[in-house]
Amino acid sequence: MTRLSGKHREWLAGYLFVLPDALGLALFIALPAAMALFVSVYSFDAFGSFTFVGATHYRRMLVDPLFWTSLRVTVTFAVTLVPLLYVTGLGLALLVQRTNLYNAIMRSMLFAPQMVSLVVIGLVWQLLVVDKIGILPQMLVAVGIEPVSFLGDPRFALLTVTLVCIWFLMGFYMLVFLGGLHDIPQEYYEAAQLDGAGRIARFWYITLPLLRPTSFFVLLVSTVSAVAGAHAFDLVYVMTKGGPANATSLLMMYIYQQAFQFGDFGYASAMSAVLVAMLAVLSGLFFLLTRGGRFQYA
Amino acid sequence: MSRRQLLVYGAAVAGSGFGCASDRSGATEDATLSFLQFYSPGGEVPAQAQWFADMVDEWNASKRRQIELEYVPVSEYVNGVKLAVSFASGQAPDLFILSPGDFLRYYNGGALADLTPYISTEAKADFPASVVASRMVDGRIFAVPMEVEPMAIFYSIEAFEEAGLDERDIPETWDELLEIAGKLTNSKRFGVLFETTPGYYQNFTWYPFMWQGGGEIQSPDGKSAFESEATIQALRFWQDAVAMGVAPRQPLGRGGGDVVANLASGYCAMQNTGVWAVAQMADGAPEFPYGVFRLPVPEGGSYVTVGGGWAFVANARSENLDEAASFIAWALASMTDDSVGRIAQWCTVAKSNMPPRQSVVEAAHRAYDEGKLGVFSRDIYPGTRGEPRLPPAAYKIVSDAIQATQLGGADPTTAAAAAARQLDAFLAGYSGAPIL
Repeated sequence: MTRLSGKHREWLAGYLFVLPDALGLALFIALPAAMALFVSVYSFDAFGSFTFVGATHYRRMLVDPLFWTSLRVTVTFAVTLVPLLYVTGLGLALLVQRTNLYNAIMRSMLFAPQMVSLVVIGLVWQLLVVDKIGILPQMLVAVGIEPVSFLGDPRFALLTVTLVCIWFLMGFYMLVFLGGLHDIPQEYYEAAQLDGAGRIARFWYITLPLLRPTSFFVLLVSTVSAVAGAHAFDLVYVMTKGGPANATSLLMMYIYQQAFQFGDFGYASAMSAVLVAMLAVLSGLFFLLTRGGRFQYA
Repeated sequence: MSRRQLLVYGAAVAGSGFGCASDRSGATEDATLSFLQFYSPGGEVPAQAQWFADMVDEWNASKRRQIELEYVPVSEYVNGVKLAVSFASGQAPDLFILSPGDFLRYYNGGALADLTPYISTEAKADFPASVVASRMVDGRIFAVPMEVEPMAIFYSIEAFEEAGLDERDIPETWDELLEIAGKLTNSKRFGVLFETTPGYYQNFTWYPFMWQGGGEIQSPDGKSAFESEATIQALRFWQDAVAMGVAPRQPLGRGGGDVVANLASGYCAMQNTGVWAVAQMADGAPEFPYGVFRLPVPEGGSYVTVGGGWAFVANARSENLDEAASFIAWALASMTDDSVGRIAQWCTVAKSNMPPRQSVVEAAHRAYDEGKLGVFSRDIYPGTRGEPRLPPAAYKIVSDAIQATQLGGADPTTAAAAAARQLDAFLAGYSGAPIL
């Protein structure tokens, strides 16, 4: 029996470590995605009736006002969520980065929403902001501001869902940034301080540049999550059902409605394919702009 | 693997990200039939789950082919994936319940079995035409209703008294309703609540206001009738209620059909909801003093309300079809005392409803002569029109018009015209069973 060389054993071990994850991805992500692409060129009503329709569903998207509304809502959501999430995640990490009891408690509290179901969070926030008797509308009244309907007014509903989403996710991204901050050698700060650099200069010339790999990860993951509606779908489903007046109808919500409420699996699959293509382009751009995610200081 | 199988499995796999179908029995001699519905033990009104359990126990005691109840939370049942995915994956239940709003989706998909051969002529005649019309196609019955649920306005007697109002102030017109709602509105309470969450239920609650002025969704020639004065005024009526600040933009609890969370909690003083709310109040707020009155009408309009209600259906692809259809006929559509009594029990004890059969009206006349059900029987039920059945695409067009005007501030005339254009485009290519 031939013994594997050290190099080959390492090679084999690497692939064996990757295998479970690769199998999971193939079975639960790649296969459904491929099948969705296949279904997208059929008119398929979920009851077994199907007809090949070619690109009909893709052409329908071009003239479907609700598809464009949902796309606009999704883009607005992502453009609002990602920068705010980046700033809040990084800001909180900077605030609690020193190791002491107070910061340990604060980190736990900020991360706590991650341990609660999004459905529960949606229901609780729904009660907090409900018209007239919710805590937030009452606080507005108390300070002399005309109360608004946070979830019932199309002008505020998406922003409300976005802020709840940020509240839910910021603890997680805080932890990610904390990991990045702890990887920055303290010597750099000490040297900069000796050279007379102030807090802002140290943050601008040391922290931010050395956080580029972490920032890349945060921006990529939060953008893909936002466009795919990873967390927002649950919140929208519980809090608004896509309303009022389609103001929170994310593309993922519209895909869900077409598939499971209207039974149009073909059209839903076509929209899913477009969504996946958008995410692929977006991710590709991220990697292109960062030369494959490699950084000078990484 | 055939192309059909590949598509079916493909859709099921593609949908697996949202949820998966449940296991289903096979078609062996002793297979158990599955009955999917949303009245679960520990649910909103325990007597309703018990009614289902008793019915199935009775059937199982005398039949070899057993039936097993399966439960899905009501919100998941109405808006969720389980039923839809179960058909896509070929694992649909043998029996399930269906509302008129979803009838065409399942009928047009070939999922509903023809129950006509299992129901006697006498029993067929026992169902008023207005009750079964939306469950029939070409004279054949595809769903057997278990109830009729007319809409009305429930009101808080305490709120009326606080505002110096009494029964003489009960509004009869839309203008009066808005005026009274204004008097009942304060810093903690809205005067009246209409459903605001988009969905089949919101459309259902809005239809009678459209009908009261003579509006229709579809004209007899098959084209859209949505762009009419009656439709526009109904859209404007709901819009005015929100714009005046007398109606909320957001309901509490499970929405506009949840009377305990909204009316009994003091969130609103009047609530547009259905007859099922009588049982909800008896179970959830038995001490809360309330009254009920029929829907007000617009100037020059005439009274009409909408009557929804769930029905038993059998899966046309079930390999236990004969047993499933026989069960439905036995449970709800037989002339035996047991069948009549079962519906009477459901409509008057477990869940307050109007009965779908004439014989039940007679058998349970005492319940319908007194109390809140008496009010429904005398004042509200006469003039009930069955819930329309619309294909999902048409429902969405109507829903968007309601949402755009009620909450989005859109001009009702413009919204009605836009919806009419979309409906015409849809109807021109529609080829399913007639829309009613």
